[in-house]
Amino acid sequence: MTTDVSWVHARDVHKSFKRGSEIVDVLNGLNLDVHSGEFVGLMGPSGSGKTTLLNLIAGLDRPTQGEVSVGGQIISKMSESQLATWRTRNIGFVFQFYNLLPVLTAYRNVELPLLLLPLNAKQREQQVRTALDIVGLSDRLHHRPGQLSGGQQQRVGIARAIVTDPALIVADEPTGALDSKSADEILNLLGELKRTLKKTVIMVTHDPRAAERADRLVHLDKGLVTHAQA
Amino acid sequence: MLERLTPAYERLFMKYFFLIFESIRRNPVRTILTSLGTMMLVLVVTLVFTVLTAMDRATTEKSSNIKAIVTEKWQVPSMMPYSYAKALTEGAADPADKSAARPSDYMTWGFFVGSTESNPAKRGFENMFFSFVMEPEKTRTMMDEVDEMPDSEVRPLIDAIARMKEVPNGVIVGPERLEKMNKKVGDRITVYGRNYRDINLELEIVGTFPKEPARFADSAVIARDYFDRQLDAYKQSHGGKAHAMADRSLGLVWLRVKNKPTFNKLTEQIIGSPSFSSPAVKCETSSTGISGFLEAWRDIFWGVRWLLTPACMIVLSLVIMNAISISVREREPEFAVLKVLGFRPNQILMMVLTESVLIGLLSGLFSAAVSYYVINNVFGGLPFRIAFFPKFTVPEAALWWGAAMGAGTAFAGSFVPAWRARSVKVSDVFARVT
Repeated sequence: MTTDVSWVHARDVHKSFKRGSEIVDVLNGLNLDVHSGEFVGLMGPSGSGKTTLLNLIAGLDRPTQGEVSVGGQIISKMSESQLATWRTRNIGFVFQFYNLLPVLTAYRNVELPLLLLPLNAKQREQQVRTALDIVGLSDRLHHRPGQLSGGQQQRVGIARAIVTDPALIVADEPTGALDSKSADEILNLLGELKRTLKKTVIMVTHDPRAAERADRLVHLDKGLVTHAQA
Repeated sequence: MLERLTPAYERLFMKYFFLIFESIRRNPVRTILTSLGTMMLVLVVTLVFTVLTAMDRATTEKSSNIKAIVTEKWQVPSMMPYSYAKALTEGAADPADKSAARPSDYMTWGFFVGSTESNPAKRGFENMFFSFVMEPEKTRTMMDEVDEMPDSEVRPLIDAIARMKEVPNGVIVGPERLEKMNKKVGDRITVYGRNYRDINLELEIVGTFPKEPARFADSAVIARDYFDRQLDAYKQSHGGKAHAMADRSLGLVWLRVKNKPTFNKLTEQIIGSPSFSSPAVKCETSSTGISGFLEAWRDIFWGVRWLLTPACMIVLSLVIMNAISISVREREPEFAVLKVLGFRPNQILMMVLTESVLIGLLSGLFSAAVSYYVINNVFGGLPFRIAFFPKFTVPEAALWWGAAMGAGTAFAGSFVPAWRARSVKVSDVFARVT
């Protein structure tokens, strides 16, 4: 994995939403580059377009105008079906509220993305165990989300995000619902992923302590990058 | 081939099964209510179609191995002189005409209705005794459904027919009637005539009908020869005066013919014969004859088939739609998560549909299987007396139609909510503009 190449490009990205009869411009010609293996924090006031940008980078949505490419692939031009396949192999998503399926055990939750890949049960089991081992939850395989603490649930969420070995981890306020101790553990884990597994991490956060962990902070306001700081 | 199929099968179903199974388990009350609704629908439709299927089978025109019925033309119930019997059972064929159509088998029916209760004041439905007066051996070869059963399934009946040759006053009794009379094979009974007033029969029970077909469960068979001797005895004991019904003891004649052209020719022979002019007779296929009996029920059958059944299905579809819609609404964030993870819209559609269809299929199959077992084995058939059909047994086909109906209704009811789940927009669920 190279570290000197700009891996995520957003060029002149516009994104508008329709709210009733009103068109709301959320992103207004935004440009962003993230290098491979970089840990980038996205900050900004509410409504500045952080999550919208994250969704575009993660292939969950398409820009109204402009181009987004990740790892050399222009994802802004992919169909919904192509995006789905692309996400499985290239993106790990960490949510603020974990978004684990409550009816499934930690093991099954982590296994979900692997179901979409051509792996047999044994290969899937191996990868699930590895992912849960990385996040330190090997002993909670058969616990359901309701039986885990917030921090543990988020660690399962991270295991789910890395189980397919994606190059890019996007995290939307991953510590927003956690106490400070759990938040620290999660941030340590994300840092560890970047350092040891060479993952590229893009994290939206409001939390200055979380922001400190990033290699680089990108500030957004009114749909534009206002400044970046290392 | 198998090596190629196994991963495909796993990919299509097994990999996702735990997800579907856990989703079904998520809200047991809702799942159980949906199941119960489906079971009720399948129960109602099974009952309705049990009757309708039997009616359809009885009234469907065959092209070969046809059964024809000869009855009195202008009177119902038909009461022809028994002197018609010999010529009719030969199809009114001229003995000298080798090209004449002849039946391959025949059966004559008279009806003797009486009571096992000697006190007229106490006679009622519970002690009523209905019997066919006929050639005993024809019970095996001509009676509907029994004639198609293998010997192994009617062995006791075959034995009973053989026994009737030794016991002239023998009677074969349907299992249900036997139970109501609290009698067993070998017992003797006296039957006091109702349509043949003052003809009382001393009968010995020589055997029973098989449990299937249930339509004969409440009936009995007595020998024509024995009955005729009772009519003769009546005449002797009444100063040579024959019984009022003696000359009207032939209800109908069944004829088996090999195909439709033979049937048409036979009909021409019978209708054209001067031997059957007073009273005149008619000849029709058994299906036409039974259709005539069922004419009074026609509108009810139509309504049940085309109004009640579809109405039940539509109502259940709406109930299922409601239940699945609530579930989909609750699970929108989950579907969004699955999409984020890379699940395609059609996979989510299939998942929701499979959950629902699985519940419908299993509930339908369960309901049909329980109906089949309970109605046929516990109650001995569905008691719904129409014409010659006192009871109806649930056909084996109910098992697949119950499952199919449950699955079909579930599919219809869940398609719209499943489509909504498929169309969940990830950015609408997660992305708040921040």
